[in-house]
Amino acid sequence: MTFSLDEGRIAAYLVAIGDTNDYAGTVPPLAAAALGLEALQGEIALPEGSLHTGQEVEHVRTLLVGEPLTMTGRVAQRSERQGYVICVIEFEIVADSGLDRAGAAGVAIRARSTIMAPAGAAPAGAAPGGGA
Amino acid sequence: MSVEVRPVVREITQERINAYADASGDHNPIHVDPAFARATPFGGPIAHGMLVLALIGEMMRGGFGDAWSRSGKLKVRFKAPTRPGDTVTASAALAKEAGGVAEYAVQCATQSGEVVIDGRASVTVAG
Repeated sequence: MTFSLDEGRIAAYLVAIGDTNDYAGTVPPLAAAALGLEALQGEIALPEGSLHTGQEVEHVRTLLVGEPLTMTGRVAQRSERQGYVICVIEFEIVADSGLDRAGAAGVAIRARSTIMAPAGAAPAGAAPGGGA
Repeated sequence: MSVEVRPVVREITQERINAYADASGDHNPIHVDPAFARATPFGGPIAHGMLVLALIGEMMRGGFGDAWSRSGKLKVRFKAPTRPGDTVTASAALAKEAGGVAEYAVQCATQSGEVVIDGRASVTVAG
C-alpha cells in the first residue's frame, strides 16, 4: 500500500490532538502510525466496536511531509478469549524517496498494534498471515 | 544526560474526538456515535486510544525534539477508556539511562487519577 501524508492532513491531525510542537516539515511519528493503522484496519475490516488495547511504535528515521510512503502489514497473531478475538497487527512504513535529512534510509516506522473485537463479529480476514 | 520531560494536560472533548475521527479516518461508532456507544459495555462514547496516546508523543517530542522523531520507541497498554469531558495528564519519569538511551515510565491519567495508558518510552540521547 502506497500513500503520503501531505501538509493538510498533518495539520488536521495536529489540530485534532491539540499538539503545538514545531515539527519543521516532518511527520509526527504517531501520526504516521495512527494513519497507517487506520488504513490497515480498513483492509482487515475489523467490526464496529473493536478496541485498541496495546501499541508499540519504533521510530527509525524521520519522515518528511509529502514523502511517498509504502506500508506493509500483517495479522501476526490471532487468539480468542472470553468471547473476544484478539488480533496483533504488525506493520512497517518505508519512505520511498530514499535518504532523510540525516542521511538515513529504509524503514521509518515499525509498529505493532493489539486489537480486540467481539468474537461473533470478527471477520475471516482477521487470521494469521493475512496481508495488507 | 537526563532531560526533564514536562507533562502535557488536555481536556478530551467529544468535539476533539470527532475532529480526530475526521483527521485519522477512524469513525468507529464507539467513538463518534452516542447511540451505538450507549449500547456497549462502556455506556457511552470513548476516545480513540491513539488520540490519548498522542499526548505522550507530544510530551516526548517537546522534551527531545528531533531525537524523538528519529529514535523514539514506545510500548504501552490501553488500560481504561477515556471519556468525553476527561482531562488527561501525560507524564514521564526517568526509569534508567544507559548506553546513550534514556528510558521513561510513561502514563496518561484522568483528573480522578485513573491511569488510562501506561508503558515505556525510550529515546537515544547521545551517540
